[in-house]
Amino acid sequence: MRAQHGAGARWKKHLKLEFSAIAFLSPFLIPLIVFYIWPLVRGVWISFHSWGILGMQKFVGLDNYTKVWTNGDFFKYLWNSFYFVLLIVPIIILLGLLLALLIKRKIPFQTTFRSIYFLPYVLSVSVISFIWLRMFDSKHGLVNVILEAIGLSPINWLTDPSAAWWSIVIATVWWTVGFVMVLFLAGLQEISPDLYEAADIDGASASQKFRYITLPGLSSVMKVQIFFQIIAGLKLFGQVQIMTNGGPGDVTNTIVRYIYVTGFKKDMFGLAAAQSTMFCIFMLLIAAVQYLFMNRKQS
Amino acid sequence: MAKAAIYSLTVLLAVMFVIPLVWMFVVSFKPEGVSAITISEWVDFSNLTLQNYKKVLTESQILRWTYNSVVIGAITTIITVFISSLAAFAFSRKTFKTKGFWFILCASGLLIPTEAMLIPLYETVLNLDMLDSKWGIILPSLTNPLGLILIMQFMNGLPKDYMEAAQIDGCKDLRLWWSIYMPLTRSAMISIGIFYFIMSWNNFIWPYIIINTEENMVLATGLPTFLANNVLHVNTIMTASAIAAIPTMVVYVLLQKHIVQGVSMTGVKG
Repeated sequence: MRAQHGAGARWKKHLKLEFSAIAFLSPFLIPLIVFYIWPLVRGVWISFHSWGILGMQKFVGLDNYTKVWTNGDFFKYLWNSFYFVLLIVPIIILLGLLLALLIKRKIPFQTTFRSIYFLPYVLSVSVISFIWLRMFDSKHGLVNVILEAIGLSPINWLTDPSAAWWSIVIATVWWTVGFVMVLFLAGLQEISPDLYEAADIDGASASQKFRYITLPGLSSVMKVQIFFQIIAGLKLFGQVQIMTNGGPGDVTNTIVRYIYVTGFKKDMFGLAAAQSTMFCIFMLLIAAVQYLFMNRKQS
Repeated sequence: MAKAAIYSLTVLLAVMFVIPLVWMFVVSFKPEGVSAITISEWVDFSNLTLQNYKKVLTESQILRWTYNSVVIGAITTIITVFISSLAAFAFSRKTFKTKGFWFILCASGLLIPTEAMLIPLYETVLNLDMLDSKWGIILPSLTNPLGLILIMQFMNGLPKDYMEAAQIDGCKDLRLWWSIYMPLTRSAMISIGIFYFIMSWNNFIWPYIIINTEENMVLATGLPTFLANNVLHVNTIMTASAIAAIPTMVVYVLLQKHIVQGVSMTGVKG
């Protein structure tokens, strides 16, 4: 009898702890559930319907998914976003690393350089897109003027299908590489100077020090950065919307812009929800692959 | 020799980084139609004008958009920092059975970005009658798990003695959080807060979708709307961009140390 009473009291105490903890969590949990968990579930529900913004709804089963699957556009634009990732991630990681290494040591105006490289990052996407829209103008843009001045032929940056992606890549690298640089700088500071001293005593060359001390020291920052940059690349929307409008043709149309147009311009909410759901699954797959890849490398 | 070459590369890259910005400002002070693409045009100070600035300030609601961006950024930042800190306190300092479950739920926000759930999120905000409003922008952006995780790591690093001493004094949890843990994590929260503000300031796709009256727009979305609805010279475009850029650049110069610190915190440990 007494034992039972003790268990009841303990159970009560647990419940009290549980509730007091959840009370602390709830200001965070409530918006999370309303604006994250619920929409995720709701999105799947919407995707099984023919659905307009004004509310006309009809259950259509897997029809939307069949449409996405049989019409090749979804995969075409998903590939476009992925293509952008393939172009930008190596460039932004290498350039970010280069900038960090350039200003790592005490050099004159060190902080000024850091400020300059980082500066574009604080501008909003529309500002940087308009600057580069004008920079790439084929007649009055500074880029072609400079190309011609050094004897190269001008390029129709925004209307030539093979150059359009590069315009977006250049603008985006200029905008966000400072962010990557700052993270590498922080990573470099965490490498103990003793390692370099020891290497100096052993007579190691600069490239050996880079290969065996700097790179391994940066590996965790590098992994996190590659992960972030891949996700950021797949989310590409603003620069494309403002600079090329997905063009020329649909060369620079990305998956996010495709979902946006399907849902908000063509008013096909159900179809767009099916596309969103498939895009979510794709993002989760990417995250899972990276997680496995990173953990394997560690062991 | 090698050092000189490296230094020249550093300078060259810096010049390449600032040229677009300098050009933006130069063009914004030139009369309409002058796109200042030659060196002689750059150094010609005889034709500078403020006409473009007058035009953008009177014909667009750019100051209103700046105000909206500041208000939305400030509210988002303050609420996010507080609720993240409260949740971090529970995760870091309380023992409860369902901790693992809630933590995974909170952290799962890192996996799927807003961009991948535009449609159902729009429907949710529509049903809450918050389209075309500040709260429609603010509420969906509150639960970024990054800040929670960082503050939690910071709190994990604090000695437990504080907590025990305070509990002996009969200090209740909420007071413990408010008068001990909040002050102790102040520097971390300032850095994270600045990072949130930049994120809110740069948020584009969501306000672009849900705001449709010009008066309620934020800077990032008002700019393209203004420029799309008017046929404008390069000078006006650059002036509007410059006006949008100036406040952030000034704040950046003033708070540079905190901003850089905030950014590096989010990356190394995140």
